[in-house]
Amino acid sequence: MPIQRRKFIAAVGGGALASIAGCSGNSTQAQSDGSSSSSSAGVAGETLTLTTTTSTYDTGLLGEIHGDFEEMYGVTVDAVAQGTGAALETARNGDSDVVMVHARGLEDEFMRNGYGINRRDLMFNDFVIVGPESDPAGIQGMSSATEALNAIAEAGAPFVSRGDNSGTHTKELNLWEAAGTDPGGDWYQETGTGMGEALNIANQQGAYTLSDRGTYISQRSEIDLVILVQGPIEDGPEILANPYGIMAVNPGVHENANYDLAMAYIGWITSPGAQDAISNYQMNGEQLFFPEAVSENPDFQQYVPEGWSSNSSSE
Amino acid sequence: MNVPLEPVAQLLPAVVDFPFREGYVRSIIYVSLYVSVVAVTLSTLFSLPIAIVMGFSDFRGKQFVKSIINTGMGFPSVVVGLVVLFAVSNQGPLGSLELIFTKEAMIMSQFVLATPPIMAITLAAITGVSENVRDAAHVLGGTRLDVALVVIKEARYGIATAVLAGFGRAISEVGSVLIVGGNIVSSDGISSTRTLTTAIQLEARQGQYDTAMVLGAVLVTIVLMVNAIVVRLGDEGAMR
Amino acid sequence: MVRLSNVTHAFGGETVIENLSLSVDPGEVVAIIGPSGVGKTTILRIIALFLEPNSGSVTLGGQGVWSLSEDERLRLRRRIGMVFQEASLFDATVERNVEYGLRVRESWRDRLRDELWSVVGSNGTPESVTEALDLVGLSDKLHQEARSLSGGEAQRVSFARALAYEPDYLLLDEPTSDLDPRNTDLIEDAVLEARDRDIGVGIATHDMHQAERIADRVAVILGGGIAEFGPAKQVFENPADERTAKFVSGELVY
Repeated sequence: MPIQRRKFIAAVGGGALASIAGCSGNSTQAQSDGSSSSSSAGVAGETLTLTTTTSTYDTGLLGEIHGDFEEMYGVTVDAVAQGTGAALETARNGDSDVVMVHARGLEDEFMRNGYGINRRDLMFNDFVIVGPESDPAGIQGMSSATEALNAIAEAGAPFVSRGDNSGTHTKELNLWEAAGTDPGGDWYQETGTGMGEALNIANQQGAYTLSDRGTYISQRSEIDLVILVQGPIEDGPEILANPYGIMAVNPGVHENANYDLAMAYIGWITSPGAQDAISNYQMNGEQLFFPEAVSENPDFQQYVPEGWSSNSSSE
Repeated sequence: MNVPLEPVAQLLPAVVDFPFREGYVRSIIYVSLYVSVVAVTLSTLFSLPIAIVMGFSDFRGKQFVKSIINTGMGFPSVVVGLVVLFAVSNQGPLGSLELIFTKEAMIMSQFVLATPPIMAITLAAITGVSENVRDAAHVLGGTRLDVALVVIKEARYGIATAVLAGFGRAISEVGSVLIVGGNIVSSDGISSTRTLTTAIQLEARQGQYDTAMVLGAVLVTIVLMVNAIVVRLGDEGAMR
Repeated sequence: MVRLSNVTHAFGGETVIENLSLSVDPGEVVAIIGPSGVGKTTILRIIALFLEPNSGSVTLGGQGVWSLSEDERLRLRRRIGMVFQEASLFDATVERNVEYGLRVRESWRDRLRDELWSVVGSNGTPESVTEALDLVGLSDKLHQEARSLSGGEAQRVSFARALAYEPDYLLLDEPTSDLDPRNTDLIEDAVLEARDRDIGVGIATHDMHQAERIADRVAVILGGGIAEFGPAKQVFENPADERTAKFVSGELVY
C-alpha cells in the first residue's frame, strides 16, 4: 500500500461518508446513557464501544482525540484495549461497535466472515528493529529487514519476541517467514508480554526485538536500545509498514450493534479534521502516526479484503 | 506544524511518569472501592443467612456444600472472569442486559470471587458460637429470628474477618475485572471501569514500572487501612 | 401448673425417660434429683416447653401445649425461664444480657427504637433488670462485660436474666454444681425469693443436701422413671421406694 505524505485535501469519498454519518445526528430524543442499541437515528447520549489493540491504546492518541468526537455528537466513547485477537473476537461477538486494529490479514478475515463492513484505511506508522548499541549481529542501517533477521539468527544473537499473537508478533512471524528462517533456539525468547515490557526485557538482556515505533519512542528515555533498522517512515523497507484499519460491526449480523454511532465515528476519524489531529499527535516530540484516510485518489482496496475483485469468488 | 509548549499536556495519559491528570487517580480509587465494597456487601448479605441455616442444621449433603465452598476459595479468578464474560456478552444468556464493560459486570465477577471466603469464614464463626448460647437465647423467649440475631452478634468478630477476607480478595483482583470491565477510562481521564489493579497492569505492560509502583503503593495503603480498622475492632473485643 | 403425664422420650433409639409424670405448681420448689445422665435435663427441657416428648402429654394451666400453633406455644414458652449449668451469657454487658428477655418480648418497632436509643447511650435501665440484679447481689456490675465475670457471678447474672421478664415458672438445671459455697448460697437464696414471689421453680440437682435445703417437693429419677415424687420431708425421711432410700443414703452407686 503506497504511503502518502502529501498535504491533504478533502476527498469526495471521505466527505460523503462523513456527511452521511453526520446527518444521522439530526433526529429524535437523546437515548439513555450507556445504551448501545438504537432504533432511531439519533445518537446523542449513547456510548460507542471501540475495541483496539494495546499498543494503539498505549500511545495515548485515542485519549487525546476522542474528546472532539464526544463533544461533537454528545456521546461517550468507551475505548477498550485488548490484544489484536481479542479486539476482533469481542467485535465478532457483538460486544463492540467498531474495531480498530493493524493486522490486515485478520481484518480481511473479519470482513470475509461478514462481521465487519465499511472498512477504511486509517493511518500508519511503522516497526523498527531495535537492539543494543554494540550490535553483535551487525545489522545497523540494513535496508532489508529480512536480511537483518537472518543475520541475527546466524549470529545467534538474543532476540525477544512478543509471542502473544498480537499485531506486532504477527508481523514478526511474517518477517521470519519472508526471510525463510524458522526462529528457535536459546537466543530466541518468547515473552508473552506487552510491548513495553518486552522492550524492558530486551534492554536488560541486550537483545534485539521488533517494536512499533510508538512504544519505542515512549520508552526511549528509559532504555539503552537503539534503532538499528528503520521503518518506512524513515526510509526503511516497506515491509516494516504498520497500517491501521477501522471497521464497523455489521448490524446485519449483530442487531444491537450501534451502527449509527459507529459510522459517525468512522466518518469523523477519516475526516480531514481528525486526520490532521492524528498527524499532529506527538510523543516525546516526534510524530507518531501518519494519516492516510484522506486522499485525492482513494485506494479502493481499502474497502474490501486484499486481493478481492468482483471477478473472484467471495471466499 | 505545531509547537509543543506544554510537553506534559501533550504526553498524557499513557506516557508520563508521575503527574497524573487531575482526578485520574481519585477516579480509579473510586472505581476500585465502589466495585469491591458493593460486591462484598452483596456477598455478605447473601452468605450470612445461608451460613446461619447451615450452621444450625444438619442436612444430607452438608459436607458436599462445604467442600464446594472450599473449592471456591481457591478457584482461579481469571476463570471466573471468563465465565462472567460469557454470561454478559452479547452472545450469552444475559446479553440483553448490556452489562459488558460495565462496573456491574465487574461487581458480578467480584461477587463470585468474594463469596467463598466470606461464606466459609462466616460459617466457621457461626458454628463457633456455642450451642449453649443458642439454647439460652431460645429458652429466654427468643424466636428463631431472635436466636439468629444473637448468634450473629456473638460471631461478629468472625464475620468481620470474613468480610475483610472477601474485601481483600475483591480489591486485589486483576484478571477477571480486566476481562469483563475493559479497563476503560473516559477521554477526560476519569475512570469508568479502570481499577487500581488494572491501572497497574496497564502501566506495567507499557514498561512504566515506576508509575505502577506508585499505584501499587496506593493500593497497599488502602488495604492496610481497611485491615487496621478491623483488627483494631477485633482487639477491642479480645481485650474484654 | 405445668404438668407432664406419661411422658416418654428417646434419643437416638435409646429411651431416656419412660412413662414419667410430674408437675410444678406456682409458689413451690420442686427438686428433680437423680444421678448424672439419668435424664434430668431432658425432663427440664420438656417442662420448659422446649422439647416435645415422643409420647405423653404436657399441659400448662390445663392447656395441652403441643397441640397449639407455634405462635400460641411461643406465648406460653415465654412465661417460663431457664438457667443452665453453664451461664452461657452473651458477649455483651451484664445489662444487655439481663434485658434480653424483655427485648424479645417487645414489638419490633419498640425494639428498634430501644436499640437505637441504646446506641446513642441515653437509655435508662428497665426496672425489672435492676431488680433482678439486686436479687442476686450484682447491681454494681450493670455495665461490666459479661465475659469478664467470675463463674459464680456469671451464673448469678444468668439467674437474673431468666428472672428479669417475670416468668411464671423458672427452671434450673444443676445451677450450682460448678460454684463455690458462697455463690451457691446466693443462688439458693434467690430461688427461695423467687418461690416467695409465687413463681413455680423446678430445679434439677444431684446434690441431695441442696434438695433438702430448698425443695418443697422432690422427684427422684432412677432408671429412666420416677422412683418417688412427693413432699421433701417424706422423700428424705420416709421414702416409699427402696431404691430411693438407697439413693438418698448414698448407697446406690451409678
